[in-house]
Amino acid sequence: METIIVLVVLAAIAFWIASIYNRLVALKNRYENGFSQIEVQLKRRYDLIPNLVETAKGYMAHERETLEAVINARNQAMAGLQAAAADPGNAGAIKELSGAEGMLGSAMGRLNVVMEAYPDLKANQNMMQLTEELTTTENKVAFSRQGYNDQVTAYNTYRQSFPPTVFANMFGHTDDAELLEFADSEQIQAAPNVSFN
Amino acid sequence: MFGAAIVTLIILTNILVAIAFGFGGQQMGLTFEESIANTPADAWLLITLGVIGVVGTASLYKYLSIRAGGKAIAEALGGHLLHQNAADANQRRLLNVVEEMAIASGVPVPPVYLIAEPSINAFAAGFSPQDAVIGINQGTIDHLDRTELQGVVAHEFSHILNGDTNINLRLIAILHGILFLGIIGYGVLRVGGHSRKNGGAMVALGLGLLVIGFGGTFFGRMIKSAVSRQREYLADASAVQFTRDPSSIADALKKIGGLSVGSTMTSKSAEEASHMFFGAALSKFAGGLMSTHPPLHKRILAIEPGWDGQFPVLKTDPLIARSSDAKPGSAELAHGFAQGGFAQANVDHVSATPDSVIEQVGHPTQDSLAVAQTLIQSTDEMLKNAAHDSYEARGLIYAMLLDKDPSIRVKQLSFLERRAEAQVPQHMTRLIEALDKADRAHLLALIEMSMPALKELSKSQYERFSQNAAELITADDRVDAFEWVMHRLLVQGLYAHFEGPQRHHGKVKSVAKVADDAAKLLSILASHSHDDLDGQLAAYQAGAKELDLAIPFAKQEHFDYQRMNAALANLRKLRPLVKPSIVKACAATVLADNHISVMEGALLQGISATLDCPLPPSIYA
Repeated sequence: METIIVLVVLAAIAFWIASIYNRLVALKNRYENGFSQIEVQLKRRYDLIPNLVETAKGYMAHERETLEAVINARNQAMAGLQAAAADPGNAGAIKELSGAEGMLGSAMGRLNVVMEAYPDLKANQNMMQLTEELTTTENKVAFSRQGYNDQVTAYNTYRQSFPPTVFANMFGHTDDAELLEFADSEQIQAAPNVSFN
Repeated sequence: MFGAAIVTLIILTNILVAIAFGFGGQQMGLTFEESIANTPADAWLLITLGVIGVVGTASLYKYLSIRAGGKAIAEALGGHLLHQNAADANQRRLLNVVEEMAIASGVPVPPVYLIAEPSINAFAAGFSPQDAVIGINQGTIDHLDRTELQGVVAHEFSHILNGDTNINLRLIAILHGILFLGIIGYGVLRVGGHSRKNGGAMVALGLGLLVIGFGGTFFGRMIKSAVSRQREYLADASAVQFTRDPSSIADALKKIGGLSVGSTMTSKSAEEASHMFFGAALSKFAGGLMSTHPPLHKRILAIEPGWDGQFPVLKTDPLIARSSDAKPGSAELAHGFAQGGFAQANVDHVSATPDSVIEQVGHPTQDSLAVAQTLIQSTDEMLKNAAHDSYEARGLIYAMLLDKDPSIRVKQLSFLERRAEAQVPQHMTRLIEALDKADRAHLLALIEMSMPALKELSKSQYERFSQNAAELITADDRVDAFEWVMHRLLVQGLYAHFEGPQRHHGKVKSVAKVADDAAKLLSILASHSHDDLDGQLAAYQAGAKELDLAIPFAKQEHFDYQRMNAALANLRKLRPLVKPSIVKACAATVLADNHISVMEGALLQGISATLDCPLPPSIYA
């Protein structure tokens, strides 16, 4: 008789532990899925930047350095994105992407300041369209980053709460996921706006 | 049926324990009968409770783990959510097909999950159309052309609309409970094998539990398979009705036969979900009582009696298959236009009757599909793109909720400047212009279309969004009928996703018990679908006659959404099979003048969506 009661209790405990495991997996899946949304927007942004530079080149031949800095930063951010997308759970990769994004942001900021001196470029139809699209993409990045960070926070909070924290290490959920913070996010937000205000 | 299965299990376990005690007693020198007589009476009660406890706990656990609805299953099967804005040509085509089917059925467009398996298979999962998701294998979109894909998606929609997906989820939980009894038996067997005292009895008990558990599962699966096989035939038949093209689904099935990997799923979780798939997911149970799906050739013959039994030879390289679908964009367009022309010729608004409306609940036809395609085709491209992007979809909905009155609109816009997410109001400017040109049928379709994008919001983003939307609706201190419909569709589509599926097992058996609420609903509907009092009275009576209501008409001067919601909340308590009669009465009210306007259709859609009787837009669009 006791055996049966013990069995039922054991079963309940086993299920309870299993549900903690499942919840951890589900939350991890969810933030990883959230990252793929950011990835889409960042890729779009990285695709737009070379076009923008190409258009700018024709007008600002003397600003080669600034343009190259933008392209370099863009390439670095692109590599950072690829690494992070392969494993959004890797805090190092996310940090690297944050750093690369920060550099790209400041490079773009400098470009915008320089562009102020070229009214012809600012009036270029193509340029206006590109900047407009870039602005939209920035906003979408910011938005999906917010969504991603919400999901990461949900995962981290659950992982650190009691009792999941007791089992999390055992289940291979050893580290918190990294929030995607862009060092220069304010500047990135503002950057594309500056040029045509 | 499963109650009976559990009772059988309890009896079997009791007999088993009796035998175990009997053997235990024999070892101590008693006879078999004596030792059974010596067993205390409350032991049987404990055993019974134990079995219920174990099966119950295990089922409950499984139920809780899939409580989130369709997305939980899709994630467990390794599915990746397809983003509406980031799709290659094949994925885009799939999303288009799903969208058309959803609009044609009058349900929110379900999120689509892509599963990285090379075989041809698909599934639908969810407790209701609101939390339903569609899962599709990579192989399906690689090997099937648009028509075949349409057949497969129509098949899955039939499962969603018929409530099969709901039953399937419950089956998973219950079968898990029964299976678990076997696992316990295995544990007891191992412990018993090592212990000296009562070792024999323990081994016997363990072995018995093992047999009962796995036997129970075996029979459970047989039941599940029998139910599933029947439903597969039905879903195939509905798919044919939906696309009016038997070859669409037959060709898809033939391609499964022609592909070496067929429809086999390799994921571990696929086994417990095997009854949810389009084709047989487990090759080892390919035949006999245990198969969840009828044999391929039987399914094909049921649709295409003259089939020669030959499976097509598929180009094994997915790249070749893909290039044969080159330029999907132009093919899409051509296809859509061809269908569109067909739709115009076929839909006759005046011929709609309450019966024809009710027939379309949960059974969309080729006409519904054609209308949905025309509706989507004729929607402004920019608005469509906005609906597919989770960032812009919010702006789109906000823009839809803006008032026509410029002074109120200014108020609403300044509210958005303060409360909406950064830059959203700026994005809305373009959308507002396009929306002012769109008619109401398109607006409703856009709401359904934006569902997958809105479901990608995080919880906090959703909360902000829904608060803002509610704020916009009430900005002019009143809620008009169309605002009510839009709000209903939004709530209906999103609530289940963010707050968990709603469970409303209606228990009320007859309309007579909620006659007051039915009368309230019909009065509101009659007051807002006809202009003069005579017309309203006649309309109300036409509806009341359907339900045998003896309550007099109560004219409503203004649309009172709280009254409407209160009435519907009570009508939702009706049993699922009774609800369509309410929709039918509503249709009779609206059609009393043999005419159905878009506004009337919209109201009808809002009501039927709330009552979980999805109505295709083809009745009014």
